[in-house]
Amino acid sequence: MLGNLRFRLLLEWAAIAILGTLVVASASNWRGTASFDNLLFDRLSTLSRPPADQNILIITIDERSLKALGKWPWPRKHHAELLTRLEEAEPRSILLDILLSEPSNEQDDLTLAQAMRGKTPVYLPMNFPTPGGDGNNYDIESPLPLFSKEAEGVGHVNIEFDEDGIVRRTSLCFKPEIEGRSWLHITELVYRLTGNPSPAAKRTNNCEERLLVRYSARRSFAEISYVDALMSEIPRELVKGRDIIIGATAAGMGDNYPGPFADGGLISGAEIMANGLASIRRDDFITQVGKSTGLLLSLLPVWILMLGFLRWQPRTALIVSLSLVGLVISASSLALFGGYWFPPGAALLGMLLVYPLWGWRRLQAMSDFMASELGDLALESEALPLPLSNDRTSDLVGRQSAALATAIDHVRDLRRFVSDSLEHLPDPMFVSDNSGIVTLANHRVGDLLGSDLKGQTRAALLDRLIAPQHRTSVEAYLWARAHGRDEAAEYVRFASPGGSTFVMRSADIRNDAGSKQGEIHYLADISALAQAETDREQALQLLSHDMRAPQSAIISMLPAIPDKDMGHRIERHARRTIQLAQDFVDIARMGESAFEGEDVLLADLVRDVADSLWPLAEERHVKIVIEDCSDSGFVIAEPDSLMRAITNLLDNAIKYSPTPGKIFVKIEHSLFAGSEALDVVIHDQGKGIDPDLLPNIFRRFSARAREGSRIKSSGLGLAYVKAVALRHGGSVEAENPAQGGALFRLTLPKASEVSPNLDA
Amino acid sequence: MRIAIADDETDVVNFLKAIVEEQGHVAAAFNDGAALSQALVRETFDLVIMDWTMPKKDGLATLHWMQESLQERPPVIMMTNRTAKKDISDALNAGADDYITKPEDRTVIAARINALLRRNAGAGAFDTKVVYGKYEFNRIDQTVTVEGDTVSLTAKEFELADLFFRNRDRTLSRNYIMETIWRTTAALATRTLDMHISRVRAKLDLRPENGFRIFTVFGYGYRLETIEVR
Repeated sequence: MLGNLRFRLLLEWAAIAILGTLVVASASNWRGTASFDNLLFDRLSTLSRPPADQNILIITIDERSLKALGKWPWPRKHHAELLTRLEEAEPRSILLDILLSEPSNEQDDLTLAQAMRGKTPVYLPMNFPTPGGDGNNYDIESPLPLFSKEAEGVGHVNIEFDEDGIVRRTSLCFKPEIEGRSWLHITELVYRLTGNPSPAAKRTNNCEERLLVRYSARRSFAEISYVDALMSEIPRELVKGRDIIIGATAAGMGDNYPGPFADGGLISGAEIMANGLASIRRDDFITQVGKSTGLLLSLLPVWILMLGFLRWQPRTALIVSLSLVGLVISASSLALFGGYWFPPGAALLGMLLVYPLWGWRRLQAMSDFMASELGDLALESEALPLPLSNDRTSDLVGRQSAALATAIDHVRDLRRFVSDSLEHLPDPMFVSDNSGIVTLANHRVGDLLGSDLKGQTRAALLDRLIAPQHRTSVEAYLWARAHGRDEAAEYVRFASPGGSTFVMRSADIRNDAGSKQGEIHYLADISALAQAETDREQALQLLSHDMRAPQSAIISMLPAIPDKDMGHRIERHARRTIQLAQDFVDIARMGESAFEGEDVLLADLVRDVADSLWPLAEERHVKIVIEDCSDSGFVIAEPDSLMRAITNLLDNAIKYSPTPGKIFVKIEHSLFAGSEALDVVIHDQGKGIDPDLLPNIFRRFSARAREGSRIKSSGLGLAYVKAVALRHGGSVEAENPAQGGALFRLTLPKASEVSPNLDA
Repeated sequence: MRIAIADDETDVVNFLKAIVEEQGHVAAAFNDGAALSQALVRETFDLVIMDWTMPKKDGLATLHWMQESLQERPPVIMMTNRTAKKDISDALNAGADDYITKPEDRTVIAARINALLRRNAGAGAFDTKVVYGKYEFNRIDQTVTVEGDTVSLTAKEFELADLFFRNRDRTLSRNYIMETIWRTTAALATRTLDMHISRVRAKLDLRPENGFRIFTVFGYGYRLETIEVR
């Protein structure tokens, strides 16, 4: 039962582990939790924004400039003039983020190219619109050669969008064709004014890698409106030594993009460039963990949880799950501040999936198990029936909990019922387990031995309970029982050291599966019974020996009496007293022991009886005529009792015979209960049996004095005959045959034939 | 002959003493088993008659003691009120030579005493003719004649009848009978002996009227009793 539950739980666990792993792997691989991860990234980024790079100045082509200078595109002479004015203030570089791929007014173009020729390096953007015209994958929009030859460098200004359309990253170069030329990003070009590639570029093999940029707060870079820069005096210190980025910020110019600011706000291309350049300078790009590392990191907490589920308490599992969720988020945050980004979404998803799933499946399994166990329990017949709740108002778990509570109460009741029953048993009882330790003993045992017996060994308890001379027989009984011997008695009888007599009965206690759990030992105090037995035995002894002895003495002294006739009569009465006592004892003793028959030649036994009664018959002038038709038939008999039974019948016949008379004794074959039998038929010539008495003639103490009879009888004699007949598996009948007299027929089963070798 | 009588009842002792002395023997009486045992060590007796139930040392214990301690053991008659077959066979198997259940006729007791004192039971075994009451045994022809009529017996039946008559009033164990007649106790069905005895009893018509009866001592053996016809 419990094994099934364990197996099922293990199966469910494995399924959840596999599912969790798959979900985490998919989420990690296909960035299924990107929106969460990005949101988290943006929020976290807000917490630690680097201060804006003070070496960068943005000159914004804003709404105000458009208002002042007219619609875009402006005449390029404005740009030329601006460049000229800026150069006077000696900036470090100028990044003119204006696409100059189409020619305009020739004079203006020449003026602009002229302006670029100054000592300040000017950088120009190029663009790669995709898809390109004429079926190309892309076009290259580069500045007119007129400008590019005057510029210090031309770099790409591709904006790198994340899946959610937000700009978080930049790449240091761009390769339109896989094996084609690599174009450096314009900011990298600016950096290379120092003469070296940036550390980030040096570090990565692949300059195309999209690097996470640390954005400064929006609009935190120094900026001047284009029109101000053009029309007013520019403070020299604002420009000198700085990198100037000239770019559009006005809403209508299409150069604004959603930035990583969590508030959904836009950021201009110029500011993106400023941030990129600042990041390159600071070299503080955030490294995102690799795919496989990310997968492993995402799976790790889920697997920890899954393994924990096998061992932990539900409470521990909850605490650990929540802690792990917090830990993953904090670790992810800390890593971000340290320059590494691990998107925790997949791990969190996995953990948030497996915990409730496991909770649910386990609850379901427990619930099913409980339902089936409760069902089984209800089906078992018990001393007390299990009351089952039919309450439909609560949910399944509620109902099952109620049922469980009921079942537990019930078991508690049962246990109390059992222990109360045990405790109030009128006789001592104790239980021992397989290792021979007493696990339970009622207070009657305690009363006997006077202390708490639980935990003692059975042997120690029995040593105290049983008189030494009976100890081995009890041990033999227990041994025979424990080893399943057929000859094991049903109980063992012993005396206690205190002189009481007990009967001990033991039984195995077996569990549901039938394996032995221990033994229950039941003691019955039969001291009173034993005393009664002793008393009875003494009474019988008195009757059979002690009463007989004085009668024998009387008879032995009779020869001394001169009156022979008187002596004879005294002797007859004395013998009759002996006979009566003997009859009583014999009936009382009958059935005390198991039937132990031996081969008896029935005809000879009858002759022995007749010979013994010869003196009486002779005295009465009664002749006993024996006719043996049995062909030496044997019966299995207890000769003592059978002899006495036949003696009683023949003795009666002699007593009730006329004087002189004849008694016909015949031993013959018959059938009894379908088997071969031998009959002893004794037929006298008396007056027969009183018809009123005939039906009850073999009942003990039935008055059976016959009319005109000289002799009275206690009625024990015939009852004894009946008992003996039954004990031998036979019967006895009485009748008054038509030809007169009384006829007794004693039927005994014939012993099986063994061919004796007569002349051996 | 010297006969030891042990019984705790004076009346019984006197009764037995009278019978013994009537037969011309000398009787020595004891009241318990211990006294009897002491006397048996010091003196010689030709026969012991003792009660089962005696103080100090009962009959059976005395019997066992005699078996173990005495070099030459006189024959013993156990005389008691016990009638159970088991008691009788126990006593006989413990070494008693005969067993008398009280009360018993003095003539029967006398016959049984004499049977045991007839030390040379084999005497007369080589006489050609022996007469016991109505029965005349002719050992040459192996025939028995009863009142002039010859009864035909088989060889075994004759031997059996002869054995019984020579040992009349003496209890013979089944083993003794079988060893004497068949020279073996093995491979002989117990019923065989019963049936032989039954035939001898029937053929010779051994009934009290004819002066003899065969008495079965169940669990032990047989005894041919002489009956004193009144």
